[in-house]
Amino acid sequence: MPKSSIAMELTKTPNKTAARVGIGGPVGSGKTALIEQLIPALAERGIEVAVVTNDLVTKEDALRLQRSGLISPERVLAVEAGACPHTIIREDPSLNIAAADTLAQNFPQADVILIESGGDNLASTFSLDLVDYWIFVIDTGGGDDIPRKRGPGIIRSDLLVINKIDIGPYVGADVDSMQKEASEIREGRPVILTDCKKQTGIKELIDCLVHNVLFLDA
Amino acid sequence: MTDRYLSDLAMLQHGDSAFPSGAVSFSWGLEALVNRNSVNDARGVEDFLRAQLEGRWASIDRSILVHAHAAWDNLNRLVTLDGLMDSQSLATELRMGSRRIGRAFLSVHIRLGTLGAAALNENVANGMLYGHAPVVQGAIWREMGFTAEQAQLMAAHGLCSSLLGAAVRLSVIGHFDAQVIRTEITSCIAEIITTPPCKPEEAHGFTPQIEIASMLHETDQSRLFVN
Repeated sequence: MPKSSIAMELTKTPNKTAARVGIGGPVGSGKTALIEQLIPALAERGIEVAVVTNDLVTKEDALRLQRSGLISPERVLAVEAGACPHTIIREDPSLNIAAADTLAQNFPQADVILIESGGDNLASTFSLDLVDYWIFVIDTGGGDDIPRKRGPGIIRSDLLVINKIDIGPYVGADVDSMQKEASEIREGRPVILTDCKKQTGIKELIDCLVHNVLFLDA
Repeated sequence: MTDRYLSDLAMLQHGDSAFPSGAVSFSWGLEALVNRNSVNDARGVEDFLRAQLEGRWASIDRSILVHAHAAWDNLNRLVTLDGLMDSQSLATELRMGSRRIGRAFLSVHIRLGTLGAAALNENVANGMLYGHAPVVQGAIWREMGFTAEQAQLMAAHGLCSSLLGAAVRLSVIGHFDAQVIRTEITSCIAEIITTPPCKPEEAHGFTPQIEIASMLHETDQSRLFVN
């Protein structure tokens, strides 16, 4: 096969990029709220962040983050899901990869790129070519039987977050039971309980990312 | 014969909807037309697909694709073709959609180690190229050894698959209707490809309803697709 003259003109390859962390989970489980907690908490530790959102129908999540004051708007890119939130994080993540590449190129100092999936179901997973680590977020409002329903998101994610533990008592969810069952099903993979309103569990979550993704405490 | 099989299999792989192209997020104006009830049945989807193929793809994308395939190792020519593609895309979402598809295509091929993909991407990153899909597809597919004919077949099939997939997800047609339409449209694709492509400097399109719908889509509140 002949060698391209274009290839000979330019041989520079993409630089090493920031760690890519996927955040998935059902609609309304609190993924965006969690990211709103993660951004300042990571910044406090000197960790720079950029975000790709995958809104399902609108650009609501992207606009919410861009207007939040927590992060420069240009550090947030939206990728449309084409009515298939799982497809663009799993079967065909090429637009998300391109968006993350763009952020890595525009912000080479970024340490982490968070990729927020559109709300999906318990079977949603991230392509291992898109992310280095993925977090699955469920919430007590979805019912305390969610861990028992298993699914790849519950079982295979690197980190399971059970969010909205504050409302558990009001929706009849036994949070302790959820945590116990999730831990058993996940065979030791981490499970963290969070309440984004009171920042419960956020430090633990950041510690987990710092240790398992960024290796900053190694 | 083995070479022929290898070539055919490579074409099936790279033209397949399972190949990560990013196309799943694009409706090329269909979502806006469906939302306005301008397309609401199988007949409307087929008319839309024919309009895309005959009114735009045949006389713009295909011309740029074929000439980019021929100019695969001539960066200056690719830059010119890329500029012509940009200037023929009036609606912002159609113009930017072609750029995004092209960039995603390069991003995938960089990871696959395809020769020339990183260099083209560098030219996109430094602003030399917009990275329109027909330009980068033509150049990269030529790098990979595909003929111009094969490149056209893959591009046309990819467009049809993504549009019919969008129509199914928008609940305008079902899977069986999609296959019926795809069968009906096959002869249209063949006729287009057997006709010599126009010069890129003479590239032209006429799909006003789609262009207008795409412009309206920019400000729609409900948007499942990029365009």
